[in-house]
Amino acid sequence: MERSRSSRLKSWPMWMLMGVVTVCLLAIGAGRDGGPLTQQERIDSITKRLACPTCDGESVFVSQASAAVNIKNEVARQVATGQRDDEEIVAFIEERFGGRVLLVPRATGFDSLVWVLPVTVLVCSVAGLAATFRRWRREQGLVPSDDDRALVARLLAEDPEDNDEVPR
Amino acid sequence: MLSAGGVGGPIGRAFLLVGLVGALFGFVSCVMGMRQKDEKVLRLSLRFATLSAVSALGAFVAMEYAMITRDFSLDYIQKVGSRSTPALYNFTAVWSALEGSILMWLLALALMTTWVAWRYRTKITDPLVACALATMFVTAFFFFLLTVGPANPFAQGAAGVTDGPGPNPLLQNHILVLFHPPILYIGYVGFTIPFAFAIGALVTGRVGEGWLLETRRWALFSWGFLTFGIVLGGWWSYEVLGWSGVWAWDPVENASLLPWITGTAYIHSVLVQERRGMLRVWNLSLLVATFSLTILGTFLTRSGILNSVHAFSESDIGPYLLAFFAIIVVVSLILIGWRGDRLRAPGIIDSPLSREGAFLANNVLFSVFAFVVLLGTVFPLIVEAVQNRQIVVGEPFFDSLATPIGIVMLFLMCIAPVLPWRKASAELLSQRLFWPAWCGVAALAVAVILGATGVEPLLTFTLGGFATGAALRQLVLATRRQKWRGLVGRANGGMIVHIGVIMISVALAASNSYTRSQELTLTKGVPASFGGHTFELTGFVEESDARRTSIKVDVSVDGGKSYRPAIHKFTSMGQNVGTPSVKSSWSKDIYLTLEPPVKPTSDEAKIKVFIKPMMTWMWAGGILMAIGTVLSAFPGRRRRPTDPVSAPVLTPSSTEAAS
Repeated sequence: MERSRSSRLKSWPMWMLMGVVTVCLLAIGAGRDGGPLTQQERIDSITKRLACPTCDGESVFVSQASAAVNIKNEVARQVATGQRDDEEIVAFIEERFGGRVLLVPRATGFDSLVWVLPVTVLVCSVAGLAATFRRWRREQGLVPSDDDRALVARLLAEDPEDNDEVPR
Repeated sequence: MLSAGGVGGPIGRAFLLVGLVGALFGFVSCVMGMRQKDEKVLRLSLRFATLSAVSALGAFVAMEYAMITRDFSLDYIQKVGSRSTPALYNFTAVWSALEGSILMWLLALALMTTWVAWRYRTKITDPLVACALATMFVTAFFFFLLTVGPANPFAQGAAGVTDGPGPNPLLQNHILVLFHPPILYIGYVGFTIPFAFAIGALVTGRVGEGWLLETRRWALFSWGFLTFGIVLGGWWSYEVLGWSGVWAWDPVENASLLPWITGTAYIHSVLVQERRGMLRVWNLSLLVATFSLTILGTFLTRSGILNSVHAFSESDIGPYLLAFFAIIVVVSLILIGWRGDRLRAPGIIDSPLSREGAFLANNVLFSVFAFVVLLGTVFPLIVEAVQNRQIVVGEPFFDSLATPIGIVMLFLMCIAPVLPWRKASAELLSQRLFWPAWCGVAALAVAVILGATGVEPLLTFTLGGFATGAALRQLVLATRRQKWRGLVGRANGGMIVHIGVIMISVALAASNSYTRSQELTLTKGVPASFGGHTFELTGFVEESDARRTSIKVDVSVDGGKSYRPAIHKFTSMGQNVGTPSVKSSWSKDIYLTLEPPVKPTSDEAKIKVFIKPMMTWMWAGGILMAIGTVLSAFPGRRRRPTDPVSAPVLTPSSTEAAS
């Protein structure tokens, strides 16, 4: 008796409700503005995208090296005057200090490989996995009919806890 | 020679030579014993293992002795020793540069080889064990070779040196230098053991599951240490480096993360093999990948071709490491190719929507993640080789790819723990996922009420709540049935690890997205406010000794306790090192750094304030991961190891009999 009440509670209308609530909350949260940034926060977010030219792999934000401090001060000056937006400041710094200050590879030319390859690997491995599942299904020799599935589903529904979580 | 310096050098060199010979003879006795099927010869390898471990320990002690007695006749002591270094940091200075780090690696490896040799001494006649031991001897031999050759910590230095600069200032600034490197190294080196057993299984062709139970536990041991070491590294970075972050995607950090990723994939997918006898080739490949990535990572970061804040020195060990890496990969591939037919698993995976299916999805994600980290780390090298142009790949690249991967991983952590083996139905899922999913909605609601914004952090909070619900469901069901025993065993301990991972993910999302920062110029007696807190400069403290000059400022936060950010100027290096001061609470950290230039006479100081939400959750998550790992190492009430793993999954009668 209790089980059936619990099953009814967990039926699709409740899931629908959950979906609606989630979407609404996400929309509220994602739609609103996080409030204005302080100048320092703008400086931080810009310097996180710039590489310190004299140190290896550190961002200007992280580094304490004098070259990094110079760039940091330049960014601070630019932010303080308020005439350029973040992208323009990055472009300005790049022009002034050379291409090595960018911490993010470009999405064009040879550098784009660093973005393309991960996606390719992901697509290939998912496709490979899907192909393997297809092969497994073929090897299995028989595909369960809808009746078989219904039978299994019915039996499982009778005892939803019946699996390996039971200690043995 | 002896008159020129202390006894540490000659004794250390002698120990290393003895260890080298011991490792070589150990290998020979394993191989000869196997070929002649002579137990006596095989048993000799135990002695040789002990000999090489004692030698490595002796060399390490000799190094410490030389360091403590400031034996400046040695090149290494000239590099990292100093008369002004305090005792603790002088002790840890042994592993503050390359040669000493390799020595520590060697010590861990030699001790583990002996541990394995003695642990399996009754099974030494088993070719698989002998072969695994031989593999460990080869690895130990290689590292002994490094220490007597290109990375010799006992090399004689220039004559007439009486003092040195001491270790890098960052390595004499925080107590964690005593814990983070050794713990990380134990994890790193520990993966040699499962790798050795994998090679043993391949050579003997016994790729069934017998070796697997042992290997899994060793892998878990190493994984636990590696995890804890990485978390400690993040904490150290946060406490010391002054930019308020825990992870910078620096090449050395990536080198420690890579084996962690493949190791994590392994400890998940090995369960499929234990349970279903499948994925044998894949699991062996993961072990090979994990071990070879530790070598590759060491090569990348220690040969000088990639530099980072961690690369405190370079040497010419690069070619050696690269050659060793190549040998590992080639030999493993040949072995896997040779035994490929025996590795073929009989079973199939019925449905993607099953525990097995989820583990496969996990493995795809972790493989892609490992690929991303490796690619980002070596991409500057590729560009330089192909186009002779220098580029930098840094944090924004890794963040932008790791975030979606992390979110999908969190999603898997929601679903996978409730999935049954073989096949799940929609009905079953809707039953089991119902309350966990509401946990996710609740987490989202709390986040929205507290003012959270942005899609990515909100998704992280939602999925974090959901996944916590799924993990708690498993723990509640298990403890209800088995009382406290419901917290041990790999499934239950694993869920505790999951909760730790979730806490870290949520903390990362919150601190990356909602950190507020501001620079404040404080004048004595005039409070300044930022982010709802007030900061007041109450005083300056100046300290000076032979090692460094320190300027500290006292800043009272919200009119209460004083915090003391500082800048230390290290005399010998002329380097400024800042030390932040942090006020922690469960909801947020207030992170203060002192910004140069500081003039104590002026009554003014510039500080930078970071307000970072949920940082404490990160450290708590790390501790929870460690606890969970320990709990999952204890055997739970599961299938007996003697049962065939490919036995039918479950019959109602067996369930009754067991419960």
